[in-house]
Amino acid sequence: MNGEERVRLFLENAAKAAAGTHLLPGPEALRDVLAGIVPPGVPVYCPGLTAAEEAVADLFPNRVADYADAAATVEEVFGAVAETGTLACASVDGRAVQAGLLPAHHVAIVRRDRIFAELDDLFAEVVSAPPTNLTLVTGPSRTADIELTLAIGVHGPERLDIIVV
Amino acid sequence: MNLGQTTLRFRQNSVRALEDVALRAAMKQAADTFGAKRAEAFAPVSDLEALRDRASGIRDEVLADLPRHVETFVASATRAGATVHRAKDAAAAREIVAKVLSDRGAKRIVKGKSMVSEEVDLNAHLEAAGMEVFETDLGEYIIQMAGESPSHIIVPAIHKNRRQIGRLFTERLGVPYTEDPQALTRIARGALREKFLSADAGISGANFAAADTGSLVLFTNEGNGRMVTTVPPLHVAILSVEKIIPSLSDLPAFLRLLPRSATGQAITAYVSVITGPRKPGDATGAKELHIVLLDNGRTEILAGESRDILKCIRCGACMNVCPVYRTVGGHAYGWTYPGPMGLILTTLLTGMAKSHPVVDASTLCGACAEVCPVRVPLVPLILQLRRRKVREGFPDPKERRVMAWFGRAAASPGWFSLGQRLAGIFWPLVRAVGGKDVAGRLPPPARIPFRRKAH
Repeated sequence: MNGEERVRLFLENAAKAAAGTHLLPGPEALRDVLAGIVPPGVPVYCPGLTAAEEAVADLFPNRVADYADAAATVEEVFGAVAETGTLACASVDGRAVQAGLLPAHHVAIVRRDRIFAELDDLFAEVVSAPPTNLTLVTGPSRTADIELTLAIGVHGPERLDIIVV
Repeated sequence: MNLGQTTLRFRQNSVRALEDVALRAAMKQAADTFGAKRAEAFAPVSDLEALRDRASGIRDEVLADLPRHVETFVASATRAGATVHRAKDAAAAREIVAKVLSDRGAKRIVKGKSMVSEEVDLNAHLEAAGMEVFETDLGEYIIQMAGESPSHIIVPAIHKNRRQIGRLFTERLGVPYTEDPQALTRIARGALREKFLSADAGISGANFAAADTGSLVLFTNEGNGRMVTTVPPLHVAILSVEKIIPSLSDLPAFLRLLPRSATGQAITAYVSVITGPRKPGDATGAKELHIVLLDNGRTEILAGESRDILKCIRCGACMNVCPVYRTVGGHAYGWTYPGPMGLILTTLLTGMAKSHPVVDASTLCGACAEVCPVRVPLVPLILQLRRRKVREGFPDPKERRVMAWFGRAAASPGWFSLGQRLAGIFWPLVRAVGGKDVAGRLPPPARIPFRRKAH
């Protein structure tokens, strides 16, 4: 599977799991796409740990230091898996994985060279030294506990947007 | 909430369940929905049989030397910074968890869904010790509020409809009545969010534990498992020893099989892989992680003829296809684990004397074994238990006498045809004396027996 196929399959499977998906033609489009996804003025948590996060941080005038106070988290994640349309969020470099859990809206930036073809490829990379927390995320939080009727946004985000750069 | 084992009343429980029309409709709907979704989810998996072989092989490998894998897990988890406790039985597990919590002054506990914690009846013990325990899985939250026990291992509150849940929320949470599942879910989100943020400790189970890395793996959809394991400062995980897999790199096989078998999802919304507590430089993870490894009879099962049941990964697929489970539901089995895998585990873990009626809760149709993702030989395991039940003298003595007579008569063609003739002659009398109870259940004998037609 080449890089383009991985990106296509990842986005296709993520969309099946009810994530919003966005494929950028180039890095300069990131700011425009984010402006369209995150409503202006909402409290946003954007940790500013990577170049991509730093480049967009000034887009959010109401940027908060604590994810517990945020309505949306915008962050770059560890990687993704094409096989299942899954994000891999990891507690590397001081990243708080739960920042993608508490706010109602999670916006994840994925570098295309970090999309693994299969689950095995991801685990092969982490097995020698797993981070304290590795969380695989596929679509928004969900339940069917009441009469098997799908409800979105139980304890985690009710909206998940994925941007591939 | 564990209401005490009622497995000995399996027949009475079943009769009561059969009379509950709403329950039967809900069970059937769950079973059909999951069954259909399961088939759909596996359709694109081209090498399913090879995948099942691989997963089954990994589980066999673990059981072939469980003590060694447990040792490896304990060493790896300890190296990762977790404190590992070994609990011989349910009482020991309850004591360990209670002590870890009370030593740290924990009063408010949030809990993720864990069948093992039901098995050891953990909540009641912690509550008796003065702690508040909040179930956070939506289904578990509902039944905890109602003071009931789970009826389904995947959908614990399947026996309650949306109107009952709406009324429960109004009564207990003081919110305006609604029966919209999405609105009810939002109410639970708000009520539980506050509990997560103020909790002193989180208790979770684990679907798997990787021996080579000491990692715990949790499959969830709602996000409560993530909350419980990362938000409070203390995380206590309780799991039974057979949940161990040799390596974290074995996980993909189970990631592909378990959610598809359980709910028909290609993967659950969340999979948490937790390796030790928060380390210097980390911004994620509980500050302290305690892992309670429960044996509770597993070592004994491992040494006996039923050890293959320990391959089970608790997906619930065998239940959804079981004609008995689909009809009577989970409560009838009278303990933590229902359905085909449940009747085996219940008998082995609680003893034949406390559970023998449930050994009959199978038609031996084999649908369970057909869907089992890790190839647990469920039918032979049930047959073994039935033989053991006879050996240990548990069958109803009347039933034994009748079957002994029938066995002798059926072994001789002469006696058998005499019996057939007598049955035809005496049928009017049987019907007159036995009334509707007998004649309504037994078919009348054929005028010309099948074996004579066959000639």
